[in-house]
Amino acid sequence: MSSKMLQFTHIEQQSPDKRAAETRKQDFNEIYGGFQDDRATDQASRCEQCGIPFCSVHCPLGNHIPDWLMLTANGRLEEAYALSSSTNSMPEVCGRICPQDRLCEGSCVLEQSRHRSVTIGAVEKYITDTAWEKGWVQPVVPTEERSESVGIIGGGPAGLAAAEQLRMQGFQVHVYDRYDRMGGLLVYGIPGFKLEKDVIARRVDLLERSGVVFHPNTDIGKTVTFAELRSRHDSILIATGVYKARALTIPGAGLTGVHKALDYLITSNKVSLGDSIEAYTSGELNAAGKDVVVIGGGDTAMDCVRTAIRQGAKSVKCLYRRDRDNMPGSQREVANAEEEGVEFVWLAAPEALLNEGTDQAVSGVRCIRMHLGIADASGRQSPEPTPGSQFVLPADLVIEALGFEPEDLPAMFGEADLTVTRWGTLKTHPRTLMTSLDGVFAAGDIVRGASLVVWGIRDGRDAAASIGRYLNEKAVAQAAE
Amino acid sequence: MSNENNIQSVSGEQFVAEWKANAARLEAAHLYNPAEEHANCGVGLVAAIDGKPRRQVVEAGIEALKVLFHRGAVDADGKTGDGAGIHVEIPQEFFKEHVRRTGHELAQGRLAVGMVFLPKNDMDAQEHCRTIVESEILHYGYTIYGWRQVPVNIDVIGEKANATRPEIEQIMIANTKGVSDEQFETDLYVLRRRMEKRALAANLMEFYICSLSCRSVIYKGMFLAEQLDVFYPDLRDERFVSAFAIYHQRYSTNTFPTWRLAQPFRTLAHNGEINTLNGNANWMKAHETRLASEVFGDRIADLKPVIQPFSSDSAALDAVFELLTRSGRIAPVVKAMLIPESISSNSNMPEEHRQFFSYCNCIMEPWDGPAALCATDGRWVVAGLDRNGLRPLRYSKTSDGLLVVGSETGMVRLNEAEVIEKGRVGPGECIAIDLSAGKFYHDSELKNVISGEHDYAKWTARITHLDSLINNTPSSSESDLDTPTLRRRQSAHGLTMEDMEMILHPMVEDGKEAIGSMGDDTPLAVLSGNYRGLHHFFRQNFSQVTNPPIDPLRETRVMSLNTRLGNLGNILDEDASQCDLLQLESPVLLTHEFRAMRAYMKDTVAIVDCTFPVDGGENALRDAITAIQRDAEDAIRGGCTHVILTDEKTTATRAPIPMILAAGAVHTHLIQQQLRTFTSLNVRSGECLDTHYFAVLIGVGATTVNAYLAEEAIKERHARGLFGDLPLDKGLKHFKKAIDDGLRKIMSKMGISVISSYRGGLNFEAVGLSRSLVAEFFPGMPSRISGLGMAGIQKKVLEQHGVGFTGPSAVLPVGGFYRFRRHSGEPHSFDGTLIHTLQQAVETDNYDLYKRYSDGLRKMRPINLRDLLDFKPADHPISVDEVESVTEIRKRFITPAMSLGALSTEAHGTLNIAMNRIGAKSDSGEGGEDPSRYRPRPNGDNANSAIKQVASGRFGVTAEYLNQCREIEIKVAQGAKPGEGGQLPGFKVTVEIAKLRHSTPGVMLISPPPHHDIYSIEDLAQLIYDLKQINPKARVIVKLVSRSGIGTIAAGVAKAKADVIHVSGHVGGTGASPQTSIKYAGLPWEMGLSEVHQVLTLNRLRHKVLLRTDGGIKTGRDVVIAAMLGAEEFAVGTISLVAMGCIMVRQCHSNTCPVGVCTQDPALRAKFTGSPEKVVNLFTFMADEVRQILADLGFSSLDQVIGRTDLLSQVSRGASHLDDLDMNSLLVQADAGGLPTINKVEGRNEVAETLDAQMILDARPALEDGEKMQLAYNVRNTHRAVGTKLSHMIVKKYGMTGLQPGHITIRLRGSAGQSLGAFAVQGLKLEVFGDSNDYVGKGLSGGTIVVRPAVNSPLKSNENTIIGNTVLYGATSGKLFAAGQAGERFAVRNSGAQVVIEGCGSNGCEYMTNGTVVILGSVGANFGAGMTGGMAFVYDGEGLFESRANSESIVWQQIEVPYYEDMLKALVEEHLAETQSPFAKSLLTGWEREVGKFWQVVPKEMLSRLEVPVSAEEKARA
Repeated sequence: MSSKMLQFTHIEQQSPDKRAAETRKQDFNEIYGGFQDDRATDQASRCEQCGIPFCSVHCPLGNHIPDWLMLTANGRLEEAYALSSSTNSMPEVCGRICPQDRLCEGSCVLEQSRHRSVTIGAVEKYITDTAWEKGWVQPVVPTEERSESVGIIGGGPAGLAAAEQLRMQGFQVHVYDRYDRMGGLLVYGIPGFKLEKDVIARRVDLLERSGVVFHPNTDIGKTVTFAELRSRHDSILIATGVYKARALTIPGAGLTGVHKALDYLITSNKVSLGDSIEAYTSGELNAAGKDVVVIGGGDTAMDCVRTAIRQGAKSVKCLYRRDRDNMPGSQREVANAEEEGVEFVWLAAPEALLNEGTDQAVSGVRCIRMHLGIADASGRQSPEPTPGSQFVLPADLVIEALGFEPEDLPAMFGEADLTVTRWGTLKTHPRTLMTSLDGVFAAGDIVRGASLVVWGIRDGRDAAASIGRYLNEKAVAQAAE
Repeated sequence: MSNENNIQSVSGEQFVAEWKANAARLEAAHLYNPAEEHANCGVGLVAAIDGKPRRQVVEAGIEALKVLFHRGAVDADGKTGDGAGIHVEIPQEFFKEHVRRTGHELAQGRLAVGMVFLPKNDMDAQEHCRTIVESEILHYGYTIYGWRQVPVNIDVIGEKANATRPEIEQIMIANTKGVSDEQFETDLYVLRRRMEKRALAANLMEFYICSLSCRSVIYKGMFLAEQLDVFYPDLRDERFVSAFAIYHQRYSTNTFPTWRLAQPFRTLAHNGEINTLNGNANWMKAHETRLASEVFGDRIADLKPVIQPFSSDSAALDAVFELLTRSGRIAPVVKAMLIPESISSNSNMPEEHRQFFSYCNCIMEPWDGPAALCATDGRWVVAGLDRNGLRPLRYSKTSDGLLVVGSETGMVRLNEAEVIEKGRVGPGECIAIDLSAGKFYHDSELKNVISGEHDYAKWTARITHLDSLINNTPSSSESDLDTPTLRRRQSAHGLTMEDMEMILHPMVEDGKEAIGSMGDDTPLAVLSGNYRGLHHFFRQNFSQVTNPPIDPLRETRVMSLNTRLGNLGNILDEDASQCDLLQLESPVLLTHEFRAMRAYMKDTVAIVDCTFPVDGGENALRDAITAIQRDAEDAIRGGCTHVILTDEKTTATRAPIPMILAAGAVHTHLIQQQLRTFTSLNVRSGECLDTHYFAVLIGVGATTVNAYLAEEAIKERHARGLFGDLPLDKGLKHFKKAIDDGLRKIMSKMGISVISSYRGGLNFEAVGLSRSLVAEFFPGMPSRISGLGMAGIQKKVLEQHGVGFTGPSAVLPVGGFYRFRRHSGEPHSFDGTLIHTLQQAVETDNYDLYKRYSDGLRKMRPINLRDLLDFKPADHPISVDEVESVTEIRKRFITPAMSLGALSTEAHGTLNIAMNRIGAKSDSGEGGEDPSRYRPRPNGDNANSAIKQVASGRFGVTAEYLNQCREIEIKVAQGAKPGEGGQLPGFKVTVEIAKLRHSTPGVMLISPPPHHDIYSIEDLAQLIYDLKQINPKARVIVKLVSRSGIGTIAAGVAKAKADVIHVSGHVGGTGASPQTSIKYAGLPWEMGLSEVHQVLTLNRLRHKVLLRTDGGIKTGRDVVIAAMLGAEEFAVGTISLVAMGCIMVRQCHSNTCPVGVCTQDPALRAKFTGSPEKVVNLFTFMADEVRQILADLGFSSLDQVIGRTDLLSQVSRGASHLDDLDMNSLLVQADAGGLPTINKVEGRNEVAETLDAQMILDARPALEDGEKMQLAYNVRNTHRAVGTKLSHMIVKKYGMTGLQPGHITIRLRGSAGQSLGAFAVQGLKLEVFGDSNDYVGKGLSGGTIVVRPAVNSPLKSNENTIIGNTVLYGATSGKLFAAGQAGERFAVRNSGAQVVIEGCGSNGCEYMTNGTVVILGSVGANFGAGMTGGMAFVYDGEGLFESRANSESIVWQQIEVPYYEDMLKALVEEHLAETQSPFAKSLLTGWEREVGKFWQVVPKEMLSRLEVPVSAEEKARA
């Protein structure tokens, strides 16, 4: 191994420069800069080149992280990109928005042993951005074109990853999405300060140049029936994601000024993309000048609070019933949010939404203090209310960020034979990933439940491989007839 | 003990019958191979220099044997020895009188005597043998005087020996043809060979002719050496006179008394071991085709095969030695041909000698390995040593013309006043007597004679040195392959990015092989689901106990990669044409060199394509192999003298034949066709990349190897700029150097120094190759469990070929063989998730989590052999409550040797505390222990290791250290790199470590590959003896590494009185080791353990030793399986580290362990999170799991299942493409004959007392009341380790420095035995008047030793040898003054002693790290190799020093600074005061003049670290 590695004993961890909170909260651009070349090299060279690369073990994609860190440290970026992109359909996205502190970097041996992890995400972003810049990222050219076609429902991470992989196998690929832009949550769910919109646009463009046909504004079950779709294609992949928000069930939940996180984020993202949105212009989904309370402790909540800051909210509070150590969202995002002026109200749960006037508009949130009880079988401590500890937070915009559930797909698609689990997710065969319908596969959140983008990519790739096997078997069977 | 009595109750006959049945059973199951039996010994000769027979010679020979018993072993009956014998001239009068008495008329001239062993009990067979003998003699025209029943006294032999005793008779033959003695002797030789062949054909296996000669006769047998003349009363007859007596005492690794294996053999007696036996025997077979000699004419056919089947190494060597001497060469020449001196090791070698040896190297492959030979051809008597000087040979000459040579000095009592010379035979040297001329020859005189026979310089000028031709050809940077093709080819050969980055890159960049750590946790090749190159199935052989490995770095000069190509001639010839050869300095050829060679060979070369069609059907590979064998054969029959095998023609439609298979197939075929010596066999392989692959190719018979694809990869990487500024030429040279060094390293592990004897020697063992495939293409190589065969190879090769040539991939797969990778490569049993589960389990004391870890391991795909085994379901499970306690089971756990130096202090201490808490044992590892640990901490924690290790470096091994333990472990080999030494790089030598190891902070420390006091089994017995003296309570462990043949070694070790035998598996972790060693050396412990257990049982030794094993034991299940395979205690290394926080980063060698376990960096050590509790929890969990399994199986204790392989069954036979995977060799059982199969020795196997027993009695006032004393004794060579037990008494009572030097003085007269003053401590002074044997002052710990000639001796002290080999090995402090020369390897690994002697042999001061050595005379070759500390002063009267010093580690200069002159002078003055050396006196008298002849020798690394600089200039500046 090159002598340049194992430098963690004398090179400190350094992330790419972050823009100052005061500046960055003025716009929706990404808050991190890129690495300078030598800093990327230095940081990559901290890698210990472990016998068991826990980074890779705990990466949903099993990325060959130590190998491309070594290549980066040695200035072999083109090889690094080739290796990185061999296991990941959009490394530049993962590099930006993966919660690395919970995956690769959190598992990094250097992190485990308190030396602070290698900045894997930043290097991944650096490698891929450099690859785009240098033109190493090229459209897929399959060795052989296949006549079979695959229809993919949903242009999010899972759908796009599957599209790429299926094109590599030579299949004809069509992607259907109900929104006007491809990318799913990548484009509409995740704010620009984490993932700038042109990053997704160039991926979509690349896929288009690779021969993927996109069908935006196509709502399956409305624009076109599911049955029709099945007849068009040799195989179908359902990758719709989960969009049904969980709602508050406390008094006052029906007041105006109480919104679902996704509605809020999509609006904001569309505005950033230059669209004109009524609900924004009207102020309904605009936090400017408002006291904002976001309820929830996940990544979506983080996106909401930081969006609200950027829209010019008077105050932004995040209400979460557990404490900081037990929240599901990324610690790094919490830190970023705090820098930008978000106030976290830990160990507190909403009891009721209040309104003082007569116009049914929300005016505050009555909260109760929580404490963490005894750990349950899963090892997690459940929060319990502390009697008599109520307090009120003023609020004229309350955003519910309580998680997502699947929509009722069998109903939407008019396909009763599509079997779902008791949680409403699609039931697939664990090995083939096929649903209850022959030739219909499913991937991503709609199978797994709301999860990370990186899992979506993984599932999309796995599904593509499985579809490939399915179609190959079918071709062999047909040839035999 | 009761079991001892059990043995006695078994009759000799019964033992023999049972032993044979057991051996046959184990052999049938492929567990045991009698060919792996070893024998080491003591050897010597006595001769009358005038060549006139004397009675004195015979008597002296017999006397010498009587004091050699400690070099042999004795069976439990106290009477059955391993064999002894004597070779003397035929006392014609003695026999003639006998003939006369029987009424015969005596013919003219000498009569001949045949000493014959006949079947004893089968009278028909006996008669048949007699008929064969008689009819052959008569057929040849000689007449017979008759048979003489040799008188024997069977009272002195044991029952077992008696049960196998042959009928011993002598046939007496008259020279009725009246031929010359020479002709008679030649005829007798041919006759004997004819008789032997007829007997073999008639299956008369007990028939054996000890000797058949008109000159000499051999008396030998299975008695104790001292009983020789009691057993054979003939020898007591005053008429028994001889001009020479060659005698031998054998030490065998088995207990079965085999009479024919006793020595001497017909021409020689050999002490040592021929490591290259396999290769030599194969090549001898190849040479047989061309054997021709005028002496024999047509009768040459009677002599073939020269080496008989089932010969021991010594017997095989003897057979060739005999052939060469009988065909006309004299014994000194034959010795030089078979066991030549190394040309490169001696820069002072005269040119004539050099040319002579160069000629010898053209004729034959050297027989390589430790060897002390005493031999005769009838006229000459010679005594010689191997090139490394690995056995001792001391000699004395007396004024009345007697020469006494032997493994020890003092074996024959001589009047010191009459001894006119005391010397030693050095490495590669030979002394001789020409009996007919009555002349003695020193080594150089002898070589002058033999090298003057012909104009060898003119002859050797005919050698074509290819290097000079090919070195001038420029290498081309142009690639032969474009990148996509290169990738496809690489991929088709199974190469990965890991191979490129981790293995190839470092070789090109640094010229060194890649280093790794933490062992191998991937599946055995045969169990893997992936393609694994054939080389993965070859495990490198290594030497342990019965012979030493060599240090390929520090002792490169005795090694040779010289490669001869082309047509090899008749070895019996002696003419210039034998030198018509091509020669290369290395078998490794770069592509441009290969092309140059190819061009030079012109049309004498045949190129054989080694690829086969991918659509060739199911026999495609088999057909292709047959075709290449035929192609090669046809070409050679057509006159080609060179064959090239190549797989370059690999394409999308043609797959490569694995080159190892191709080379083995062609080599074997050519040997069978008797064509191999007519050609060179050159190989171009695409798959070949690492040193191991090269070694395998050469080992299966290739002459040269060109790794063309690896070279293409280097070029491609170079073109991409991956080597920075490194020019391509240089990179390629680096690659070649790395491979050359690697080959030396791999050979040296086996103790082999010459590649020509390694070639074709198959110094490997197959794990998982089909036995029939091995028998066909790699005959002779062990393959115990069978496995992959031809069909499987074809399937796997085609699969991999498909990966490379179909599909889009132009990127190499990532790999995953060395480190875990998600998408490719091998599974690793240290799985990331499971490790975390275990760590959480031990942290939270959660057994359920531990079970999850343990079950997780069980669910993985098979990785180890034991994964194919399972417990047979039991009928009657019992409750777990009935099983013995956790505490009982935990006592059986060990944390194996991990040194403080590898581990951080914190980790090392934590393990010790944890193991002491649960009554288990931890092993200190090599590197000493901090004395502050010898007392428990205030809280009661005991951080002192219960086991103290003695390894080859002897770091910190003091008398005190050895007394602070319950057990002492001798690490003979280490699982991760058996046969190799190690280095602790300077950056790991912290102040603390330097203190413990008596060295200098920041300076590298080297552990030599061998223990320099264990070159053979009797040496090991000696070390065990020494350790049992210095600590009279501690049990002694011998740690071995698993390999085939380990069973017989273990038997030898048990006979050497070891108490515990530890069998290490190959997977073991390590701080640093070459990757190819981690991956390809050693065997799984399952195989070694079962072999040891069964062979010990076979030899009725099992109940006398405790068996311990380690190597990847991870769960309670592993423990129970190990118990069933024979282990009683279990060492758990890596997982105990994991419990303390190790997460298998595998960067131990980089000092960057991020969790502070295996590093010396204080910042990283601060991150250590381990605790004794975690370790205790681990062992508790494992014990609990063991209890559960035992309960399920219905047993209440571990003892009940030990050795119970019948409780195991093989549950998987591996993948479907394997021929068969047969674990029977692990599961077969020897019948224990009612003896226990677990250790029954309480305490330890005691050794005999030495002089110390008396000394301790006499020294009571000193030991009890602290009085100063002087005691005096006579001493003989049988008094070994004198002063050691007394030192134990002193250190126990007074500590290391409690007495003033010289408080107790012991004065000794005579020749002291081995290990004089071993571990002697301060307060003890030993004064010897006479001389002493090997290992004087071994581990000296503060004592003073003085050795000086007897007062009446006329010898000049500085011209004669007074002490033996390996003196002061591992000394840590103290003083030695010896008025005379020392032998080889003087002061090796000295780390503190002050010493003055008057000359020494080769390898002086090797690896020394501290102390001061003054040598008032010349030194041998390779002085100061690997010396990194301390200082030496050498008096160089002859101006030879500079040619003998190893300039790699040391510098030398005249003394410039008065400080050092004073230091030197003070030591010389002390020497004079102690020894009265006249030479020292003369030096001091002329000091002003003489001081200028001293060299001051300083290790390079020390120059900047000396308090007083050695250069006057720097001193001035300072």
